[in-house]
Amino acid sequence: MSSVGGVYLESRLKLLRQTQNVDGGWGYFPGKQSWFEPTTYAMLALHGRPGSEDSLERAWKLLRSWQTPDGSSRPNSQVQGGTWVTAQAVTLACVRGIYDDKVRSSVDWLLRVVGAESSVAMRAAAFFHLLKTKADVSHQGWPWRDGNASWIEPTVQALLALKKISKSYPSSELERRVADGEALILSRRCSDGGWNCGNPNVLNYDLPSYPETTALALLGLQGRSRAELDQPLALAARYRAETRSSLARAWLVIALRCHGGDPQPAGQDSSGSIDIMLTALEALGHPEGNYRLLETGGAA
Amino acid sequence: MTRRQFIPLAGVAATAGYASLKLQKPPKVPDGPPGSSAVAIVRARSYSEDLVSHMLDGVRQCGLDVRGKKVLLKPNLVEFDSATVVNTDASIIAAAVELFHRLGASEVKIGEGPGHRRDTLDLADDAGYRSTVPKFESIFTDLNRDDVAAIHGFAGEPDFYFAKTVLAADLIVSLAKMKTHHWAGATLSMKNFFGLVPGSIYGWPKNKLHYIGIPESVVELNRTFRNTFAIVDGVIGMEGNGPIQGTPKHCGVMVMGSDLVAVDATCCRIMGIDPEKVDYLRMAADLGHVHPGRIEQRGETIASVHSNFALIDEFQQLRLL
Repeated sequence: MSSVGGVYLESRLKLLRQTQNVDGGWGYFPGKQSWFEPTTYAMLALHGRPGSEDSLERAWKLLRSWQTPDGSSRPNSQVQGGTWVTAQAVTLACVRGIYDDKVRSSVDWLLRVVGAESSVAMRAAAFFHLLKTKADVSHQGWPWRDGNASWIEPTVQALLALKKISKSYPSSELERRVADGEALILSRRCSDGGWNCGNPNVLNYDLPSYPETTALALLGLQGRSRAELDQPLALAARYRAETRSSLARAWLVIALRCHGGDPQPAGQDSSGSIDIMLTALEALGHPEGNYRLLETGGAA
Repeated sequence: MTRRQFIPLAGVAATAGYASLKLQKPPKVPDGPPGSSAVAIVRARSYSEDLVSHMLDGVRQCGLDVRGKKVLLKPNLVEFDSATVVNTDASIIAAAVELFHRLGASEVKIGEGPGHRRDTLDLADDAGYRSTVPKFESIFTDLNRDDVAAIHGFAGEPDFYFAKTVLAADLIVSLAKMKTHHWAGATLSMKNFFGLVPGSIYGWPKNKLHYIGIPESVVELNRTFRNTFAIVDGVIGMEGNGPIQGTPKHCGVMVMGSDLVAVDATCCRIMGIDPEKVDYLRMAADLGHVHPGRIEQRGETIASVHSNFALIDEFQQLRLL
């Protein structure tokens, strides 16, 4: 890793190694409480890197301790009850090659949880045009928290997890949820070709897409036909050049790479940042980074 | 009738019932707590004026004492769109930091947890906060990704989590933007507290609050955090399809006070909105004053700064007659 880019990657990985908390996790910022999300991305960025084994083992042990009896995972040690990060637990288990009962219970939780807008009452309300949003509520998707509506990001995280584990835990229900989750994402595309975090239209006003959510949606749609994705991929490339969000740039680079693109590495201008999640995502999206860990290939 | 047949019909009936309730004339707003509340309306025709002096004027009219207190400034930072007026203006934030230091606060911090965009620091950069507020990065906390602690009983939840920076503040100052809102009618100092809720737990957006109910959540947040003050940026507000896609509306005022219900009711009257028809203000009548007779209007009069904000069709019924 001798190139200038390689030096940059190494500086990002070094920051991650230096900022791991004593409990084994990472906070969103150095010295802060450990959270599941930044720990996941730090683990993915450091996966397979020489000298990281002990660090990764400690992190994995911490995250496993946050699993609740219903199979879901808590987002940090202070919080009671599991959330969308359960999908990240499954993704990490796949990356680490672990397929035990705990992982199975996480998968079962994911298969059980649906967006609340797919309830019979909401579908009836949509049928009678009583909703203020234009959304196809026939799809289930995944919420940030059980009992809430589905959104693009938690749906994408669940799709990544279920697609990755589909070969180890094949089931017709898993296949159905993956297909339905993809359909939900496709149904929520904004009129500009990308994705907002939720619905594309509220009160008859079209909402604009966001660069980061467009990137995430593309990650969730890996394996779909090129014809379906040509336009959003072109939009993602444009967003990559234009967005003022470092986080969006990092996600866009990862998404474009997972779709076979070769964008310039994200965020070499963010080298002064101490944002752990951003640091990890930039390391993941580097040409020599671990972005392939988020590849899922074809649908389940 | 089978259960399977009944459930969808019950859902439709419930939804239709709710819709008919929404069409009924709202009940009379209760009188509210004893006494009255001071609300200052201060003219500020542009952001290039001496905003610190204007704020000082308003704060003194409201009798606020912040000596020795840890103050958290909560702006309304929403979107990457520096070309419009979606965010609280950077000059308002900078002026408030200077103001509260001058008034003797022991600490002045800024905290925000945007509802949709996750890249809070770059949002702040784009909104000009980094370049306008001295030492911005050392006093700013992303409330979506801060350390958290639980409180009990929020909206009936056994545990509800907030950023420790929020829980540690002696005074939270809502530096809101005067905007219309496509779900709530208007977003002002009270609704601005949605940004106190951590996205790391409740998501982007904080969908849990939608399920509690938007007006219910606004009221509950303001019931939970009582040591508060408001400075609403109405120098240039937003009308039409707010809070993000509306259009700029020059109003040339800042509205301030310790009673956030009274501040928002005053802002509504300035905007040509009947506050008694805004759900969360009606529901918050036990927390503060909505009735004009119980609000001591200081500084400018409402009539002298009143300017109707355009409302989308959905909220035409809120228009103050």
